[in-house]
Amino acid sequence: MKDHFKAIFCSYAEIFFFQSGWLGALIFVMTLVNPFVALCGILSVLAAYLFARFIRMETVYLESGYYTYNPLLVGLSLGYILDVTPLMAFFVISAGILAFMSTILMANIFTTYLSLPILSLPFVVCSSLTYLASRRYSNLLVAWESRPSYTPKFLSDLFSHLPIWLTGYFESFGAILFLPSVLVGLVFSGLVLGYSRILFFLSVLGYYVGTGVRALLLGSSEQAFGDIASFNFILIAMAVGGVFLIPSPRSYLIATVAVVVSILILDSIEVFMSYYTIPAFTLPFNIASLGFIYVLGLLKYAGIAQYVGATPEETLENHLADKLRYHGEQQRTLHLPFSGPWTVWQGFDSGWTHKAKYKYAYDFVIADEEGNNYRDAGENLEDFYCFDRPVLSPIRGRVIRIINNLPDNPIGQVDEANNWGNLVILEDPRGFHVEISHLVHESIEVNEGDWVERGTILGRCGNSGYSPQPHLHIQVQASDKIGAETLPFSFVSFIDGNSYFANDLPDEKKTIEPLFIDKRLDSVTTFLLDDVLKFEVLQDGELIDVLEVEVKNALDGTFYFESSQGRLYFGKHEGTFYFYRVEGRDRWLPLLFLALPRLPLAHKPGMSWSDFVPVGLTTTGFQRVMARFASAFLPDFARVQVNQKFRTSNVVEAVIRPGTLQLERKAEVTLDTKLGLASVKIDNTELRRKKDEE
Amino acid sequence: MKLPYEKPVINKLQSGLMNKFGRSPAYARRVREHIEDVPIEDLVNEFGSPLYVYSEREIRRKHREMYSAFSTRYPNVVFGWSYKTNYLQAICAIMHQEGSIAEVVSQMEYEKARDFGIPGDQVIFNGPHKSPEILERAVSEGATINVDHLDEIYDLEQIAEKLGQTVRIGVRLNLDAGIYPQWSRFGFNLESGQAYDTVKRVSNGGKLEVAGLHCHIGTFITEPEGYANQVRKMVAFGYEIEDAFGFSMEYIDIGGGFPSWNRLKSSYLAADIAVPPIDEFAEEATRALTNSLRPGDFPKLILESGRALVDDAGYLVSTLVAAKRLPDGTRAYVLDAGVNLLYTSYWYKFNIDIDREVNGINENSVIYGPLCMNIDVVDEGVLLPPLSRGTRLTFSPIGAYNNTQWMQFIEYRPNCVLIGPDGQVEVIREAEDLSDIQRRERLPERLGLGG
Repeated sequence: MKDHFKAIFCSYAEIFFFQSGWLGALIFVMTLVNPFVALCGILSVLAAYLFARFIRMETVYLESGYYTYNPLLVGLSLGYILDVTPLMAFFVISAGILAFMSTILMANIFTTYLSLPILSLPFVVCSSLTYLASRRYSNLLVAWESRPSYTPKFLSDLFSHLPIWLTGYFESFGAILFLPSVLVGLVFSGLVLGYSRILFFLSVLGYYVGTGVRALLLGSSEQAFGDIASFNFILIAMAVGGVFLIPSPRSYLIATVAVVVSILILDSIEVFMSYYTIPAFTLPFNIASLGFIYVLGLLKYAGIAQYVGATPEETLENHLADKLRYHGEQQRTLHLPFSGPWTVWQGFDSGWTHKAKYKYAYDFVIADEEGNNYRDAGENLEDFYCFDRPVLSPIRGRVIRIINNLPDNPIGQVDEANNWGNLVILEDPRGFHVEISHLVHESIEVNEGDWVERGTILGRCGNSGYSPQPHLHIQVQASDKIGAETLPFSFVSFIDGNSYFANDLPDEKKTIEPLFIDKRLDSVTTFLLDDVLKFEVLQDGELIDVLEVEVKNALDGTFYFESSQGRLYFGKHEGTFYFYRVEGRDRWLPLLFLALPRLPLAHKPGMSWSDFVPVGLTTTGFQRVMARFASAFLPDFARVQVNQKFRTSNVVEAVIRPGTLQLERKAEVTLDTKLGLASVKIDNTELRRKKDEE
Repeated sequence: MKLPYEKPVINKLQSGLMNKFGRSPAYARRVREHIEDVPIEDLVNEFGSPLYVYSEREIRRKHREMYSAFSTRYPNVVFGWSYKTNYLQAICAIMHQEGSIAEVVSQMEYEKARDFGIPGDQVIFNGPHKSPEILERAVSEGATINVDHLDEIYDLEQIAEKLGQTVRIGVRLNLDAGIYPQWSRFGFNLESGQAYDTVKRVSNGGKLEVAGLHCHIGTFITEPEGYANQVRKMVAFGYEIEDAFGFSMEYIDIGGGFPSWNRLKSSYLAADIAVPPIDEFAEEATRALTNSLRPGDFPKLILESGRALVDDAGYLVSTLVAAKRLPDGTRAYVLDAGVNLLYTSYWYKFNIDIDREVNGINENSVIYGPLCMNIDVVDEGVLLPPLSRGTRLTFSPIGAYNNTQWMQFIEYRPNCVLIGPDGQVEVIREAEDLSDIQRRERLPERLGLGG
C-alpha cells in the first residue's frame, strides 16, 4: 500500500522536479485549497495509475511518478473549469487514461528518436483536447463567478496590500497546479526553497526576467504581472538552468535566454489559442526547454548534466567531483603498450609530428637518469635503451593488419616512403582501432586475425618508418586504414614516481610505468550480489551503532551497497576500484566513500594517489547549503581533495583536504584479507568489520 | 735524494708483448686517484684507513638499470633486496627508496627490516632456520614466507591454527636448471616429485594456502639460459598445482644469483668478457616466462638480487704498511686490510688500484693483510710495480657480502662512508673502538685484576 501512495504522491512532486513522496503528499494537501481541482487531480492520476496496473505495467516504472504526472496535470486543469457531477468523474477518468496513453506513446517516440524527455507535452496535448471537447458538454462547465474564493478573508486582505509584482510571482507559482493563489504560491515556492536553493533562485530569476521583458514589450506591467501564464518562465528557468544543465553562471544565462525567447512563443500561442478559448498551458515551457536542450545536445554542449541527481545541488556536486576525479577520455581507454619505466617523447598535439589529424598520438622512449635515450655514443640501434624491448598489446582485441618487412633505419635516417614503418593495427570491440608503429624488422609475433589479450607481446620496439631513432608510437584511429585520422584516448593507469594516475595522459618528458592488476587486491574488491558486510560503529572506542550493507545491482547494471538508510554506488574500472556516489540519509555510508574514494588494484610500496569527493560528504547543515549553492559560481567551494597512500599493502591512509572553510581530516582504511574492508577510521569514528561466527 | 736500498733480484721480462686481452703485463697498472671525483687521499685523511667507500650514484644506477632490464620485458616485476648481501642501513635505505622490498633469511634480518620501518607485508622471509616465534610474528605481520622444509610446514600449520586464519605460503623448490653445481639443500626437489607431494600435503592439511613459488638456482651464475630453464619449470609446476589443488600462483620468485663485474678465482677470463650483461639474463628469463604463461596471466615476478646491485658500488681503500721480499724472491706487501675485511677474497680476484703513477716494471706480488695469521692473504699473485710504504691500494668490487661477513678479529672494524650524489661524503658506520668489543662482556668479580 505504501508503494501505491508513494507512486501517486511522487506524481505531484515530479511537477516541481522533486523526487520525494513526502513533498508530493504536501503538494497534494495544498491542492485541497480548491477541492474541485484537488478532486479532479487525484481522480485523474488514480485512473492513470490503476489503468497502468491493470495492463500490468511493471511497478518499477511507475514508482517515480514519471508516467503519471501528466495525467495529474490534466486532471488538475479539468478541475479548474469543471463542475462536480458524476458525469464529470467519467470525463476526468477518460482524460486521465488518455493522458497516460499519450505519455507512454510520446515518451517512447521522444526518447527513441530525440533522446529527450517529454516534460509536460502530453498534458498540453490532452488538456487542449479535453478543453476543446468540453465546449460541447456545456452542462459540465462551471460558471466562474460561482466559484468561491478559497483564501481566508484576512489573508486575501493582507495579500491585496502586496504589490502586483510580488503577488504575480506567487500566483504564477500556484498556477502551475491550477491554483493561482498567493497563499498556494507562497507554500509552493517555500517548498522549492527548502528543497533546492538553486531551483528557487532560478524560479525568481526566470519569473522576473520573463515578466520584466514582457512588460516592456506589452507596454503594461499590470498585464505582464497579472498573466498567470508567466509560470512558464519559472518552469523554463528551473528546467534549463537547474535540471538539464549543470548549474553554473553559464547555464543560468542560457536559462535566462530561453525565458526571453519563450515570451514570443507564449504570446503567439495565446493569440492563436484564444480563438479556441484554450489557455497556453505549459506549451511555451515545453517548446523552449525541449528546443534548447535538443540544440545544446546536438552541438555537444559540455554543460549538459550526464547524471541528474535528486536536486540540482546534487547534480552539481557530483559533476564537480567527477570533473576533478576523471580526467581523460572515458571510452577509448588504453593500457600502456609496454612494461617498466618509459619516458614520454611526444604527447597529444605536439609541435613536431603529432599535429592536425594526427594529433592524438603518443611516442615513448626509455631514458636513463641523465635523460639520455642511449648509452655510449648512440650511433647504433642497440645503443638505444628502448630498442628491441617488447611492445605489449594495450587492449583486448583482434589483430587486423600487420606490416613486418621494413628495415630498421640507421640512426638519424628516416624512411619517408613508409611513414608508419612496421606496424600492428588492432580492433577494439568497443569500436575503435589502435595502431602501433616503428617496430623492429620481422619482430612481430602475432598474425592478422589473432585475438590478443592485454599484455600479449606484439613485437619489439624498433626504428622502421619515419623514425630517426628507436621509439614506440601509439595512436587510436576511427578506421583500420593505415594513416587514418586519429581520435582522442587516455591511458588506463600508470605511476609517475610513486604517484598513481587513472584514466589520464602523462606530460611530455615524464617517466611513467604501467601497473598490472594485483590478484590479491582484485579478489579483495570482488563483491558478489547479496554479499553482506557488517560493521560496528565505534566512537572513541565506544560502540554506538551498527552498519549492515548488502551488495545490490541497480537497473543500469551498477552495483551498490545498500544499508537501511541509503546506497553507496561502487564499481571497478580498468584496474581501479571506485566509490561513485552516495544516496540517501545514512550517516555511515559517506564515511566509506570519504576514506577510500578509489583504490588502485595494484600495490607498490609507498604508492600514493589523489582523488576528490562531493562536498556533501564533508559538510552538514547550513555549511552544506552554502557550499553547494556557492559552488555553482565558484567551483572551489566544492573542492574536497583526498590524498591517499599505501602504508602497507593492505592499509591505506588518507588526508582529506576541503578547499574552503574546513579543517583537514585524517582517515585510515584497512583492507580485509579475504573480502572488502576490515576497518575504516576517520577522526574518532571507526567502522570495524564484524566477523560472522560460522 | 737517496733512494731506499733494495736487494737485487732477476725477473723474467716480457717486454712489449701484449697478452690476448690487449694488456702488457709488464707495464699495465691500474691507477685510481678518485672515487666518484673525491680524492682518495682526502677520504683517508678524514676517515682513516682502511675505509669502506660506497657510491650512492652507482647503486642507484645499477638498480635502475636492472629494474629497467626486467620490468620493460615483463610487466609485473618486484625486487626484494637481499639483506644478507649488505645490511648497512644506508645501503638498505637506498634500495628501498629505489622500490625494492626486503628479502631476509633470519630472525635478526627480519627484525632489522621491521625495525627499519619496512612493513611486514613488504618482507620476503626465506631461509632454512625460522624459529616458531619469529615465524608467528612474520605470519601475523603478513610477510611472504617461502617454506624450506616439511618441519616448517608443521610449524606454520600450528601457527595457522593458533591465529585462526589461513596462512599463505610460498614453496621453495630446487630443480635442475642445467647449472653446475645444482643447489639441492634448500626447498623441495621438483624432478623427484617431492615438491608436488609437499603441495599435496599442504592442500590436505587445509590450514595453509600456496600463493607462490620460490627457487634460487645458485650464485654468480654466468649462464643466462639457466634462468630460462628455471622459469619454464616453475611456471609449469605452478599451473600443475593450480589445476590440481585450486591454488592461485600470485608470484614466481626466481631468487638471485646474478653476477657482478667481479672475477671468480676459477675464471681465466676478465669479468667484462666472462660475465654476460644483465640484459641477457632479463631477456632469457622473461622470454621463457611470457612464453610459458597463459594469456592475460601476469603473476608477480620477484627477484632477490643482492650482489648484482651493490657489489660494483663498493670499494675498500687500504694502506701499504710494509714491503717485503719472500725467500723465493716473490715480492710481498703487507696492508692494513686483509681477509678480516675482505671475506669475498676467498673466491674473487679483485681489481687492485694504486693511488699514484709509479715507475718500474710489474712484478708478481703477494698481498697480505694485517692479521697475525698465516691465512691472511688477499691476493696470491698480482702484477704490481714496486710500491712504497703509504701507497693506497683500492680493492673493488667489494660491495657485496664483505660488510656482512667481515670479522672482528685481531683488528678493529673501520669506518664505512657513502659518497652521495652531489659528492658529499658521509659516515654510514663508525669505526669500532675497544668499548664496542667489550660492551657485551661480563667479567666475574673474582677475576678482576688490580681491583
